[in-house]
Formats: sequence, C-alpha cells, structure tokens
Amino acid sequence: MKLNVTALSIILVAVVSYGLYQLSYEVQRLETDLGVLKNNISENKEDLRILKAEWAYQNRPDVLQALARKYLPLLLIAPYQVASIDNLPDESTVVSTLDVPLPRLNPKRDYAAPVKIPSGSIQLATYSSPGETQ
Amino acid sequence: MSELTWLSRSTRPRIKLTTSFRLRNTEDYPVALQLEGSAKETLEQGRNRLVIAGVVFAFCFVVLAGRLVGLAISGTGSEEQTVSEDGDQRPVTYGNDMRAEIKDRNGVLLATTLKTASLFAVPKNVIDPKELAAKLITVLDDMSEATILSKLASARNFIWLKRNLTPTQQYKINALGIPGLYFRSEEKRFYPMGALVSHLVGFTDVDNNGIAGVEKSFDAQLNGSAEVPARDVELSVDVRIQHALRDELSRHMSVFRAIGAAGMVLDVKTGEILAMASLPDFDPNRPGDFSGDSKFNKVTLGVYEMGSTFKTFTLAMALDNGTVSMEGGYDATKPIHKAGFRIRDDHPKKRWLSVPEIYMYSSNIGAAKMADDVGPKQHKAFLAKLGMLDKPSLEIPEIGAPILPPRWNSLETMTIAFGHGLSVSPLQLSSGIGAIVNGGVYINPTIVRRDKGSVVTSRQVISAKTSNAMRRLMRLVVEKGTGSHAEARGYLVGGKTGTAEKVEGGRYKRDALITSFVSAFPMDDPRYVVLAMLDEPKGNAETHGFRSAGWTAAPIVGRLIARIGPILGIEPVDEDSDAVQKAMYVHINSREKKLASF
Repeated sequence: MKLNVTALSIILVAVVSYGLYQLSYEVQRLETDLGVLKNNISENKEDLRILKAEWAYQNRPDVLQALARKYLPLLLIAPYQVASIDNLPDESTVVSTLDVPLPRLNPKRDYAAPVKIPSGSIQLATYSSPGETQ
Repeated sequence: MSELTWLSRSTRPRIKLTTSFRLRNTEDYPVALQLEGSAKETLEQGRNRLVIAGVVFAFCFVVLAGRLVGLAISGTGSEEQTVSEDGDQRPVTYGNDMRAEIKDRNGVLLATTLKTASLFAVPKNVIDPKELAAKLITVLDDMSEATILSKLASARNFIWLKRNLTPTQQYKINALGIPGLYFRSEEKRFYPMGALVSHLVGFTDVDNNGIAGVEKSFDAQLNGSAEVPARDVELSVDVRIQHALRDELSRHMSVFRAIGAAGMVLDVKTGEILAMASLPDFDPNRPGDFSGDSKFNKVTLGVYEMGSTFKTFTLAMALDNGTVSMEGGYDATKPIHKAGFRIRDDHPKKRWLSVPEIYMYSSNIGAAKMADDVGPKQHKAFLAKLGMLDKPSLEIPEIGAPILPPRWNSLETMTIAFGHGLSVSPLQLSSGIGAIVNGGVYINPTIVRRDKGSVVTSRQVISAKTSNAMRRLMRLVVEKGTGSHAEARGYLVGGKTGTAEKVEGGRYKRDALITSFVSAFPMDDPRYVVLAMLDEPKGNAETHGFRSAGWTAAPIVGRLIARIGPILGIEPVDEDSDAVQKAMYVHINSREKKLASF
C-alpha cells in the first residue's frame, strides 16, 4: 500500500513535471513565433507605406498628362462629345438606312467561317465561351 | 554514523542508543535511541513542528499546482506585460505611432511618413577610405569622392554621409559590403505630389512637427497622443482639379509674363475648396530650397484690392435693398469729382446706363452712384454679412485679415463699390461670390472633406430673387460684356472681370496690375465658383497689348472650366436652346442711340 502510494506519487510528479516542461517550451516557441510574426507585420506595413507613396508619386497628374499626351490620341472633352443615354439613336435608325459605304471583306484574306447567329434574337458580346447557353 | 528509527505508535516511543566501541564495524550495529520523560516531550514537539512545516509546504505546492492547472486551462494571465517588457520586440502597432497621412477627397496620398535609412560612417572602422569613396559614389551619384574623403578624414567617431536614402540606394550600399558604414533608421515626411498642393498641405520641420498649412493646423491629430491615436486628414481638394488649375495658371502666367498667379475652385453648395493654387509655389519635400515669396499663399494670406469684381456685391446690395431695380440706372456721362478724387470709367459710354449695362460695361461711375444711394452704413453692414470685413476662418494658419479704410464715409463707399479702398483675400472674394450665386446663402469655406448629407451651417445674406438676377447678370458679362474670353461652351459660365492697380507704398502703381476673374458655372444652377488672378500680367500680341482682366484672367477660367467640367460631372447644355436662353434672359433697358437704318 505504502509502496503503491509512493510509486504513484513519483509517477505523478514525473508526468506533471514532463507536462510542465513541455508547456514551458511550447510557450517559449510560440512567443518566438509571435515575435517573428510581429516583425513581419511591421516590415510589411513599412513596405506597404513605401509602395503606396511610390504609387502616388508615379501617378502624379502632371506625369499622367505627359504620358497621355505622348501615347494616347486623346484631347480634352468638348461639350458636344458628352451625351446621355437618351441621346442615343433609337433602333429604327439602322446602319443600312444611312448613306455610308459598308465595310467589305478583303478578297486577298482567308476568313474563318462566320459563326451562325441564332435567329430571332440579338446576341451581345459576353465573356462566356462560344456555344454556352446563358 | 547513526540511524534514527521511528517505532510504531503502539509501542512506547523511545530512542535506543547503543554506542559501538569498534568503529570499523559500525554498520553491523544499528544505533538505537531511547529516551524517556522530558526528552520524549522534546522529541514530540519537534515532530509536531516538522508535520506543521510539511503541511505548510504541501499547501504551497498545491496552490502552485492549482495555479498551473488554472493557467493551462484558461490560458489567461499577465502575458501582455511580459511581452511589452521585452525590449527586443517592436510593437505590432507600427505605423500608428508615426505621423498620419494627408489625403485628398478621393483618397490620393498627399503626405505620408516613411522610414528611411540614413548612412553614417565610423572612420576608425573604415579600412580603406579611398576605396570606400570610389565605391560609394557609384551609388550616391550626387556626392563627389572628395567630399566623402574629407568627411572621413575628420577625427570624430560618427559622421553622417547621407540622410534619408531611398530603399534602392540602401540595398546597393549594403551590397557593396564596405566595413565602417552603418545605417540608422529615421522618419521622413514625404509629399508624393510635390509642389501641386504645397500651400495647402504645408510642410514639417526636421522633427516632423507641422510648421505650415494643414500640417500645422492638424498637427495634434496627425501626431496623435498617448490617449488618442493619430488619424488621417482627408482634405476637400481633388488633385485632378488642382492639377488643371495649377497647369492653366502656370501656362497663362508665362504667356502674360506675370510675376504671380492664384486661383481656386469652390463648391458653392458645401463650401468645400476643390482646388487652391498660388504661384510661384514650392516643393514641400525640400522647403528650404525656396524663397519666402514662393511660400506665400496668395489665395488666403494675400489681400488685394480686387477691382471691378466688387461691383457684383454693389449690385447685389442695391437690388436686394430695392434702391434700384433691373430697369433702373444711373447717369454715367461725366466722371465723378469728390474730395479731390476723380472717378471715371475705363470703357466710357458717356450716357445713361441701366443696371445690367453698368455691370456689363463695368462702369465705375454707375457702381459708385449706386452704392452712394444705399449709403455707407448699409454698405458696410452688407459687406460684413458677406464676410469681407473680418478675418476669414479656414483650417490653415496662413490667413490674411482684410485691410479696411481708416474711415468709411461716402467717398469710401463710392470707391469700395468698384473694388478700391478695401483689400480682401481671393478666398473671401470667392466665398462672397458663392453666396451671391447659390441662392443667397453664405457658407463658410472649408478645406476638409464634408460627408454627403452632413449639415452645413449657413446664413442667408441676400434673397433668392436677387441671387437669381445676379446669376443672369454674371452670365451677361460673359455672353456680351468684358468677360467674353471666359466662355466655355456648354457650361454656362458667368463671371466678372476685375482689374486693379497695385498699391505700393500707399500709391497706385500705374504699370502694375492685379487682374482677376471670378466666375461661377453652370449659371442656371451654380455648383462651383472659379477664381483666377494674375499678378502684374503684361499684354502681348495676341491680346493686342491689352493686359486687363478680360484679356488675361478670363481665358484662364474659360479653359479651366472646359477642362474640369467633365471631371466634376457637369452636363453641358445647349446654350442656344430656348429653355437656357429664357433662364438666362436679362432685359436691358438701354437708351443707347441706335443708328437709324433705312
């Protein structure tokens, strides 16, 4: 009986102290991890700040204006170029009624066979693959 | 060499002590101790003490074990303290302890704080200064080998080689691998937009304390404190409009060889300033390289006699008071002589002029007579209501107070009626015009973004009817009068020119003008006030040598409105349509002698 109690308590002490050391090491490891993570976060935040400043600097309006002037055939918007959706011509004004030469195919070029359009509906451009039903 | 044996409780406790004579064989004879009487009591006492001590220790261990179990289960404790006491770890709230950012109304960065590396050398650790200098100038191309060598030759232990390196430079210097060079991390205020919003944003000193503009007035908010974290400042400025304004101003400043220019765009419904520029300006990234003149904010700090733009206020006052109607008018045949002064017209018509004509042809005589009819007292009270006589309030420290005449009698009223004798800042003029056109409500201007739907404090200064009449009159000036160069087709621009001679040393300078054009658009429902001002413009061939506001300042506004209209989402209208023509119609009661045509 006495032996049993002694043995039990020794085993218990061993188990508890093993558990305690494990816990202690675990805590130390987690704290190191936490420190590393915090450092990473602050470094990333620092980088982000620099990148944001860089982005703002590269997007200065005068730089954009110079680039637009160089690469885009765009001028200032004239008032007559601004229109609302109500100003669009209605469906009755179709291209064929206008006195404009229609674009023709170049006879020297090979064209792919035209895609058959299902009759009875107007197909609008979509990003889905051809043949897929909407 | 003895052994203490405890006997069981049933037997009488005694200690047997048997001494051995042969020391070599002590193990063979266990020593027993047997005590009786007082000795027994002593032993009993000792045993009891031992038991009590044992219980106390056991209790302590149980408490410790219990605490351990509790901690293991709940996982809470004073962990934070141990972390914050650890000096090696940087706090996770990095960036919050740095000075906050300044942004425009769309979130575009105007000012931020960056951690930069500064390069310093410890000369005694440098092995070969010549090699160091030769390598270093490959990265720092703005430094010469000789300067680096002379710096390294000093006897000090610590020498700054270059402050605030770019990350690329730091990387390259690190890659060079020169011993004796070290970095120190520093905070630097950075303004990505450069000179674009310089006067508004202001700048900081080397310790990152704001000393001008928004940086100064919002210093506490940007820095934060122990209790309140630093917060970003969102301005009402839009960099796109600011750029358009600055671009047009600087272009026309060079075209007319002016020594300065200023301008602003103001939302008349909210009082928000969308753009504010004063030229020449400076780069807040290096304010030390610019003169005090370029740091002077002409829009808010400068006060000027604004000239004819003040006739807008005179007319609004007279119409609102009812001293004259739109059909009425004044005789402008002869100049007014009063107290040794002569008031004459720049574009004399030498006839009776109706109210719209006085405004359209910018008649000084007409405006002077009109204000005189109202009287000095009411004139002063009216201008005070429009905020012309007090120092305006705006969220930057650079605010100039208006210069009032020493006394305000009939003569002063007459001159102030056409904008002489009272100096105000362009900011005051713009907010006053805003009140005239927006239905007669004065709204204090602001440079901080107002959320949609927020309540704007305002006060009614003129009636909506007068405001409507003033809109038509301002439109008339652009349509048929002195401001025709401000036309931006489709945007229904209306405005008023103002040409004033500069005051220097108490005298008017004939050859130095301040030309200004203050306008609003679209005139059927004004949304924005646009002001442009040139300091000492000179005429050129294109303007036929004229340098008055109609030739120099008005085109800036016209071009600017055509540029910013689409950005601001103003839909152009057909100016020839009946609805617009009707809305802008002014009946001109002209007594001009028409040439008979047969």
